[in-house]
Amino acid sequence: MDKTNEESNAKLCEYLTFRLDREEYGIDILKVQEIRGYEPPTRIANAPPFIKGVVNLRGTIVPIVEMRLKFNCANAQYDDFTVVIILNLHKRIVGIVVDSVSDVMGLVPEQMRAAPEIESIINSDAIIGLGSLSDRMLILLDIEKLMSDADMGLVADV
Amino acid sequence: MAEVHHESSGSGADFDLSQFYQIFFEEAGENLDLMEQMLLSLNLETADDEELNGIFRCAHSVKGGAATFGFSDVAELTHQMESLLDKLRRHELKPNASMVDVLLESADSSRALLACHQSGQVGQGPATANLVSRIRALVAGEIPPPPAAIKVAELAKPVVDSPASATAPAELAESASGGMRHLEVRFINLDQPAQADAVVELFRDIAGLGEIKPHTSGEVAADSRVFEVETTSSNEDLLDLFAFHVSREHVVIRDMVSPELLGDPQGPAGEQSLPAQDAATASPGFGFFDGAPGAPPAHDQTPESALLATQPMDSGVAKSSPSAAKVPVAGNMQPEAATIRVAISKVDQLINLVGELVITQAMLAQNSRALDPAVYQQLLTGLTDLDRNTRDLQESVMSIRMIPMSIVFSRFPRMLRDLAGKLGKKVDFVTQGEATELDKGLVEKITDPLTHLVRNSCDHGIESPQDRIHAGKPETGTITLSAAHQGGSIVIEVRDDGKGMSRQKILTKARERGLDVSDQMSDAEVWQLIFAPGFSTAEVVTDVSGRGVGMDVVKRNIASLNGTVEIESSEGYGMKVSVRLPLTLAIMDGMSVGVGNEVYILPLSSVVESFQVRSDAVSTVGQGAQLVKVRDEYMPVIELEKVFQVPRYDSDKTSDIMVVIEADGSRVVLLVDELLGQQQVVVKNLESNYRKVPNVSGATILGDGKVALILDTGALVRRSRH
Amino acid sequence: MPVILTVDDSPSMRKMVSFTLIGAGYKVIEAIDGVDAFEKAQDQPIDLVLTDQNMPRMDGLGLTRKLREHPHFKTVPILVLTTESSDLMKQAGRAAGATGWLVKPFDPSRLIEVIKKVIK
Repeated sequence: MDKTNEESNAKLCEYLTFRLDREEYGIDILKVQEIRGYEPPTRIANAPPFIKGVVNLRGTIVPIVEMRLKFNCANAQYDDFTVVIILNLHKRIVGIVVDSVSDVMGLVPEQMRAAPEIESIINSDAIIGLGSLSDRMLILLDIEKLMSDADMGLVADV
Repeated sequence: MAEVHHESSGSGADFDLSQFYQIFFEEAGENLDLMEQMLLSLNLETADDEELNGIFRCAHSVKGGAATFGFSDVAELTHQMESLLDKLRRHELKPNASMVDVLLESADSSRALLACHQSGQVGQGPATANLVSRIRALVAGEIPPPPAAIKVAELAKPVVDSPASATAPAELAESASGGMRHLEVRFINLDQPAQADAVVELFRDIAGLGEIKPHTSGEVAADSRVFEVETTSSNEDLLDLFAFHVSREHVVIRDMVSPELLGDPQGPAGEQSLPAQDAATASPGFGFFDGAPGAPPAHDQTPESALLATQPMDSGVAKSSPSAAKVPVAGNMQPEAATIRVAISKVDQLINLVGELVITQAMLAQNSRALDPAVYQQLLTGLTDLDRNTRDLQESVMSIRMIPMSIVFSRFPRMLRDLAGKLGKKVDFVTQGEATELDKGLVEKITDPLTHLVRNSCDHGIESPQDRIHAGKPETGTITLSAAHQGGSIVIEVRDDGKGMSRQKILTKARERGLDVSDQMSDAEVWQLIFAPGFSTAEVVTDVSGRGVGMDVVKRNIASLNGTVEIESSEGYGMKVSVRLPLTLAIMDGMSVGVGNEVYILPLSSVVESFQVRSDAVSTVGQGAQLVKVRDEYMPVIELEKVFQVPRYDSDKTSDIMVVIEADGSRVVLLVDELLGQQQVVVKNLESNYRKVPNVSGATILGDGKVALILDTGALVRRSRH
Repeated sequence: MPVILTVDDSPSMRKMVSFTLIGAGYKVIEAIDGVDAFEKAQDQPIDLVLTDQNMPRMDGLGLTRKLREHPHFKTVPILVLTTESSDLMKQAGRAAGATGWLVKPFDPSRLIEVIKKVIK
């Protein structure tokens, strides 16, 4: 992590990086509550296919979103590396299934670039930008915006 | 009790009182609520000292706190209320309905003003000038003009005593309707002249207090400030108000009266003689009784005490305030020792933890079933004990959340009084079973539906006084609200002795709405029709309880609490609405059923019976819907496999068990694979992190840690109707 | 360290007074009304009683009278907090045996000033 001076410390944002298929993504670490292994959730009928169901997280019922389906990834395996990132978004707890979790990176604005306008399966508002570190490129997501998006189906239609 | 500190605080100016604000807001709220309750139950004819003192103390307490913590608008209003109440408790005035009205309204305004302070919106509260002048008029013994509305439910004829004889010597007469006064207000010998400038803010904060501006002419000493004030308030009131910033002995008020007004008998000139005007013998806001135990030596005291010391000591003289003579037992501030305040979040957390414990214990019980009792005897005995302990703990903890129905009932007397008044009806309100306890979560959700039912009784049930007399009934109708435990439920009833419902009118209306009805329907079924959306049989739609849209919402709200509502009615005699609710939302007796590889939970209270399906009993009607004949009844069949699109991995398994459930007044049959068992389940909310799922009322965690969905039997039943 | 018994049925006032007194280096015992105060006074030595006047069950003057009747409390200083400073009130206070009075609302520093005159 680069910490050159106080000013850039203030703008330093830490991202949890995870992998979906071949892409690497980063989300604000402050929104991450914990990371768990995958366990088959209880299915909820008539839910969109990427909402796999709900699990019991120490007594709280938490919905599990299959991010690989949502992002239209080619394969979605369930193995020992499959990980569920539990997010706490303003008291709403949601879990997302990802291929693996890498590490926590601190990025300063100099390391971030705007994302090019590309056709994306996901709401492009949810892409904050691209982060680059040596040979890695991270797609930085506004995970809160992504999860509150209506077609995520997590939030009831008003 | 109190902790010992060794550091001294700074000077008075450093004191931050805001840390006490929250306590004060809660306390003031309780006092105002108590005051309202006591005012409503006050018997005007035979009001006793205890009651009047109790009400007085509420106002006094709020005033004291408001003045201390700087909420001058509230202090002013409550000060006025206190003056009226003081006269009442000293029997200088007799209570009447107008006084009760204005005091109730003032309490409301005080609450609103406090709420503004609490949320930081100063200056946006209700204007209180009108209330203040009405109170003043009552204090002066005038009968204010009756309210513009139709006749108000009278509880007693208003009686007015002449105030002149009743005024205690220390009291100062006030101009009854508040003529405008021009005053010169001088603040002298100030330690901090800036204190006086704060007085200007009072005039800004308190609507209707008056105008203030600095007095420009003449010389002013460095430790003084002079202002010109226009106000309708008396000097006494002003001094009280200023006291927070500047104590009395530093204030000199002079009327700037023009010569021609001197002849006016009501003229304030010279009338307001106050010790405060004479700084030399001014009361500094404290004093000592010379020669009293512990009193400091004379040179250390203020001049005032020297004055008092020369007065004859005659204990007989001390009339002291009436409250000192008796030892009234107050309406109700619980002695602190008997209760502790706990944040709701802590209680909820405790309940969650106990819920977890129940689940863990269930899991242990389940996993230990396979153990050989001979080998594991001690372990199994321990688990049985654990089971019992957990149940006891659970009951105990759940009871923390149980609060008496009186909390719900308390809002109705006031509401009915206002409502009956507006509608010109006379209604007595009776409650039974206030002590019956109910889970806090339920209380919050049952309040709205109950309010609607009570309003409905008053609005549509109870007839006008003339109609009642024509019908040979007493002029005053009665609405009774009762609560009682029955088995594992609580039954809440709203009864009235009004005109009841007209079967014919309802059937006619239902036909108009295109509902499928027949004259053969039982009364009970006819009454249930009023819960249909958009139904209203009132000839005149009053704005009070709105249109019939209310009743169907009531029913839905109650159903969402897993409750039922039934109606009994007798035309001409009255109506009774019975609401039955399970005692708690959080724990439920459930029956678990298996469909495919999945487990679903049915509320046991909805389950009637179950049996193996016999294909010959099932018949198919149009559009693939199925009916099954159970004894003499035909019931719709719902295949859970289809409703929940349960995947079938094992083609050998089929649904061949039928479970009859009853909800929402009807019965249907659910088709499942197997019955897995009955157990108590902890109901978890699905919506907090996800959303409402159709046909599902919640979720629970099974012994194996997995989540199972709890079915909404009402929704399933309704589904089958289409 | 002097011990002050502070009596008031209003929790916010009580807390504020306690806070003020503790900050000035006194030890504080709280009571919610005259009856409670009289009981607590028996439990430990008290150097000063600071009581509100208007309280349920037993008010400030009632407490004062009751304390003075008791041989143990004949000389303990008692200050009554009151919102009125009328002559009638003062006479009643003197007759009940109070040491002095203080008018509410008061500045916290005024409270300390008055107490210092009474407890050394």
